[in-house]
Amino acid sequence: MTKKNEALRVGIDLGTSRSSISASSGARHVVESYVGWPVDTVARKVVKKSILFGREALDNRSMLELHRPLERGLIKEGSEKDEAAVRELLRHLISLVGGADDSRVFAVVGVPAEALRVSRQHLRNAVKGIADALMIVSEPFAVAYGMDALLHTMIVDIGAGTTDFCVMNGRYPTEDEQRTLTHAGDWLDEQLATMVRTRQPDAQFSIHMVREWKERWGFVGEPKGPVVVTVQVAGKPTPLDITAEMRRACEALLPPIAETMLDLLARVEPEYQERVRNNVILAGGGSQIPGLGDALEKMLLDVGGGKVRTVDDPVFAGSNGSLALALDASDADWEQLPS
Amino acid sequence: MAGLERLKRRLVSEVVRENVETLHGLPFRPLPPSRTRRVRLGLLRGLSLVAAPTLLFLAVSALSTDRAERAGIAPRAALSGPTTLPAPRAISPAAFPLAVRKIVVDPGHGGTDPGAPASGGLWEKDITLDVAQRLRMLLGEAGFDVVMTRERDETVSLRERAQLANFQRGDLFVSIHFNSLPTRSYRGIETYHLGPTADPQVERLAGAENRASGYSLADFRRLLEGVYVHVRQTESKQLAEAVHQGLVETLVKGNPAIRDSGVKPAPFLVLVATEMPGILAEVSYLSNDEDARLLKDPAYRQEIARALFQGIRAYADARSRPGGQGSV
Ligand SMILES: [Zn+2]
Repeated sequence: MTKKNEALRVGIDLGTSRSSISASSGARHVVESYVGWPVDTVARKVVKKSILFGREALDNRSMLELHRPLERGLIKEGSEKDEAAVRELLRHLISLVGGADDSRVFAVVGVPAEALRVSRQHLRNAVKGIADALMIVSEPFAVAYGMDALLHTMIVDIGAGTTDFCVMNGRYPTEDEQRTLTHAGDWLDEQLATMVRTRQPDAQFSIHMVREWKERWGFVGEPKGPVVVTVQVAGKPTPLDITAEMRRACEALLPPIAETMLDLLARVEPEYQERVRNNVILAGGGSQIPGLGDALEKMLLDVGGGKVRTVDDPVFAGSNGSLALALDASDADWEQLPS
Repeated sequence: MAGLERLKRRLVSEVVRENVETLHGLPFRPLPPSRTRRVRLGLLRGLSLVAAPTLLFLAVSALSTDRAERAGIAPRAALSGPTTLPAPRAISPAAFPLAVRKIVVDPGHGGTDPGAPASGGLWEKDITLDVAQRLRMLLGEAGFDVVMTRERDETVSLRERAQLANFQRGDLFVSIHFNSLPTRSYRGIETYHLGPTADPQVERLAGAENRASGYSLADFRRLLEGVYVHVRQTESKQLAEAVHQGLVETLVKGNPAIRDSGVKPAPFLVLVATEMPGILAEVSYLSNDEDARLLKDPAYRQEIARALFQGIRAYADARSRPGGQGSV
């Protein structure tokens, strides 16, 4: 108790694809949200570790029981391994910022809004003990808080498993001010994979490759140049132009996102609707798709126009917001929230 | 900036309070629904220049989400509150005169849980999946949104199935199973909806179907406490009656030996934990040689899917008919 003032405060964005941490010490880290345990003793000897995280886990996946916690935006309840994966991932993130040693750790963890809605009690139990005190918040709220976008703002957080929406009306968003879609990065990858497979049925590629194509060359609107990827066809590396497929897959995100934006806008008091329309913030990995914000602005023209901007730092926007919360909460607040 | 600081302080204290409540197992505080309705109507008026299709879609989707949310309040509160359960409140079905759009189809068993054995190396899990896929096709053609709890031969716990259904905010939940009895001569169709039972046969069946649930006994008790007086029970019974009628009309017609075992209440876990009206159909008996033989024929499985489909559609039509409150 004597070291209370020195508690390390951390903000964590527990994402379905990537998880990031920002600490009061200034340290920041991001890892891919994969946790893997060696499948047997042979595998353990090969990888030389009892647990692997992120890219390292992904690269060794043939030897691991690989888990991606919060897949589909939910913690897989009843699966002890998935619960352990959430816990280990958080522990790993905290250790990366040097929080495992002697100082106390106060953590704010942002999770997909729907995971919080469906299983907040369960999430709380699953992350027991990873820090000295712990708060769980919805991810889009953390983003909003970190940007001081607390009034008449809409956050659209396009992650891997889910796209989370929240409207900030100067209070902690109610269920009515939040939405979650499963139209997000993973869904886009599946669309793209199906389209490419339809075009070239013999092509061999993995969903991880598709994800990398999207991250490098994804776009909405007019292409800046052809998108040519290399796939294996009959064992030979073969170039394949997927420009049209890439565009169609990325643009498939637009209608569900626009519909949900309109639905949420419809719930805002009429006198504030224009302000919210002009204050739409895109966050999450999906916000990086070139042309997406412009296309959504175009769709807003139907209802009187609006402005869509993209967060500067999509990787850390959520964890920075959570850190801001962690810093703004008083010691008395933290006392009430033992992990 | 003093205003911003004040606002942030208030938000932090709201976040803290909410987390403290979760820590102590308190339920959600549901929203008063009247405010949103007023606001939405205001906006719809204000948007009269918007292209008609967008507007229509907006109205429809807003209403259906609203419905799902309101229908979900009671069970969710029960789920998240192990220590202080709110007193269950009966809700009139007349409060939800809205269309059925999204149907969760649940092929029983799968993966390491094969269900009951059928002859010729087949298992219950194979047949439920096949029928479910056929049902999905029929529902999709008729314009319903369909969510499958599994798409292949994989292990999915009952808990995950219910979670997925709730997450997707389905309007109806339809679980497909095939029964098995030591009395191999028995043939019949049973359709279950959620409710308590005193029938030892039904208890035995519920026990068998509730294995591999992922729930603890304590979870189960907690789930049950909030559930029986809820509107879902009435709704589920009506859905069960509609589907059962479809099954009996189709399957008994060509096979008079199949007994109509009726619509019954039973505490199946998937029905307890899902937040929407739901049923579990035990379509026929794998333990009976004749049924097992028929079930190997894709045409017969298509007939079953069609019978399920007709029941669901009859229920949905009755729900969306103006003034028709679910009398099927
Ligand atoms: Zn079964």
